[in-house]
Amino acid sequence: MSAASTTQAVDQHMQPADKAVIQASQLTKRYGAAITALDQLTVTVEPGITGLIGANGAGKSTLIKILLGLLGPTSGHAAVFGLDCVTRGFEIRTITGYMPEHDCLSPDVTATEFVTHMGRMSGLPATAARERAADSLRHVGLYEERYRQIGTYSTGMKQRVKLAQALVGDPRLLLLDEPTNGLDPAGRSAMLDLIARIGTEFGISILVASHLLGEIEQICDHLVAIDGGRLLRADSVSSVTQASAVLLVEVDEGLEELQAELGRRSLRPIPYQRGLLIQLAGDETYDAIRDAIADLGLPLSRLEQRRHRIEELFRADPTVSGEVGSDVWSADAGQAPGLSTGAASVN
Amino acid sequence: MSTDAHAAAGQLASPAADGGGVIHNIGYRRYEGERLGRWQIVRALTWHSLRAAFGIGRGAKAKIFPVLLFALMCLPAVVNAVALATANGGGQPIVNYDDYIPSLRTVAMLIFIALEAPVLVSGDLRHHTLPLYFARPIHRIDYPAAKLLAFFLACLAMIEIPLLILYLGIVSQSHGASDVWAQTRQLGPGLLYGAAWAALLASIGLLLASTTGKRVFAICAIGIPLFLSWVLANVLGHVGQQAFGPNGFGHPSALASLAGLISPFTLLGGVLQWLRAPELLGPDDHRIGITIVGQYGSVYGVVFAVALIAAIVGLVVRYRKVGVA
Repeated sequence: MSAASTTQAVDQHMQPADKAVIQASQLTKRYGAAITALDQLTVTVEPGITGLIGANGAGKSTLIKILLGLLGPTSGHAAVFGLDCVTRGFEIRTITGYMPEHDCLSPDVTATEFVTHMGRMSGLPATAARERAADSLRHVGLYEERYRQIGTYSTGMKQRVKLAQALVGDPRLLLLDEPTNGLDPAGRSAMLDLIARIGTEFGISILVASHLLGEIEQICDHLVAIDGGRLLRADSVSSVTQASAVLLVEVDEGLEELQAELGRRSLRPIPYQRGLLIQLAGDETYDAIRDAIADLGLPLSRLEQRRHRIEELFRADPTVSGEVGSDVWSADAGQAPGLSTGAASVN
Repeated sequence: MSTDAHAAAGQLASPAADGGGVIHNIGYRRYEGERLGRWQIVRALTWHSLRAAFGIGRGAKAKIFPVLLFALMCLPAVVNAVALATANGGGQPIVNYDDYIPSLRTVAMLIFIALEAPVLVSGDLRHHTLPLYFARPIHRIDYPAAKLLAFFLACLAMIEIPLLILYLGIVSQSHGASDVWAQTRQLGPGLLYGAAWAALLASIGLLLASTTGKRVFAICAIGIPLFLSWVLANVLGHVGQQAFGPNGFGHPSALASLAGLISPFTLLGGVLQWLRAPELLGPDDHRIGITIVGQYGSVYGVVFAVALIAAIVGLVVRYRKVGVA
């Protein structure tokens, strides 16, 4: 199998007619009888940056390893750029870069040496590997430091080297497993900017796994949410946040009157902290609120549009949240979340 | 949709096609050049590992022991060449092509594999680098295969470059083509036997090294059992000869003959005797490092083959499991 034919095969699958980067159908992976990492997962990932969201143990890493052809699924089917993950993993790995979750760097070599070697392992000739290693390290923001041994690096710099080694082979797809792991807030922000830039400016599709929804909201075009190996929801981030737009209204007094009045205007206001949340349907919602407040003569102190974080949309179902961490969610997105914390229903 | 913009950017391979009105030509270039196939990648990994075994690309400290041991291995051949040159054609070679100097070869190679086999495999295990290799366009077996080939070649260089120096030293003082031809005919089996050393020691060394990710532990995991088994084989062989051997029965006892199977080094010594010249050694030959195979020569051949295959299979099995947990 020559590399040239691989590239052609990829080009064919990059045609508009078949744009899916990743396709999984009924994908199941069991470890022994007890552990089910993936359970009948069916999902399609399109070009762009896609967030793979789930709690630790939701099956994110297992999915990535199956996509790379490193693990065989127990049943079901998965393909990357139309290449079957079981039979054509070799070709998939030619055009895919992988950044593991855990530490994977040799501390006693320089970043340049390490990334160059990994470029060679990606199939680049020696000269090209050196050039692309220098380019990749520059793209991730490592300049003079790249001649230092990796053991002397900060966590943030190590994460950048991990990203650079995934990028060095000029992949069509990057699989990033928890790329912000262990980073401080500034480091997280820098890493997310970097991923967003690679996705938008470099034209490389990215599947980024994370258990932190807030991050995904910032940089992703699409969202795939899994829990317990099952698909919770797959949608574009913009459509999710569009559907969730709400207005927050605060008045200095007469909150109950306003709630009753808005209710009569069929706006279903939800008490939230010191104000009311109202689902934003369009300009008429603003008009209705304005009229209601004017009619009641209440002192309006705040009227703002809130962009809901995805956490709130996928807020944990109280019946399950005891089992998972508080920063994750596991609700079925089809169910309307409870109203007490002001999260709006997404359906 | 922004998605379409990304797709377009991907197809056109041009960051500027994003059309966001921002100039961000920071120069990401797609790689359109040649991509190497599986075997060329394996060859690159083999070459990389072979260099690492001699400390090349690893800093000055890493080169000290490989260079010292290599010099030690070459010393007899160099001394031999100097001696022959100064004897003006009248001298005899001080070492042979077959087992060179068995005790020197044993000690030098023991230290070499204990120190350098972990260099090839421990780091990738300890620092969890293996998933990066397995996520690349090679197959799972390629990693241990490349490492084994590299370490085999490293051991081969340690053993056979001294033989070649020995050969050149002798040939340079030879008179006539028949002398050269005679030396060449002796060199051939010596090189083959050296390859047997390299194959067995490289595969056992890497298998033991791959059991742990910590380099110090790996050094111990190789050095201690190989050294102790070598000592034990010699002690048992000696005891076997003293107790039952030369005076009582006229030929080595079973204990003396089979003790050599315990250690790879004495096993190799037994293979040489079986193949070449069992009659060269008398029953009262007590030289350290010399195995007395007696009538059990073929057992040594079989055990050598089994040990070699088992070590290679063990290494492959080891790398089927590790790295993708």
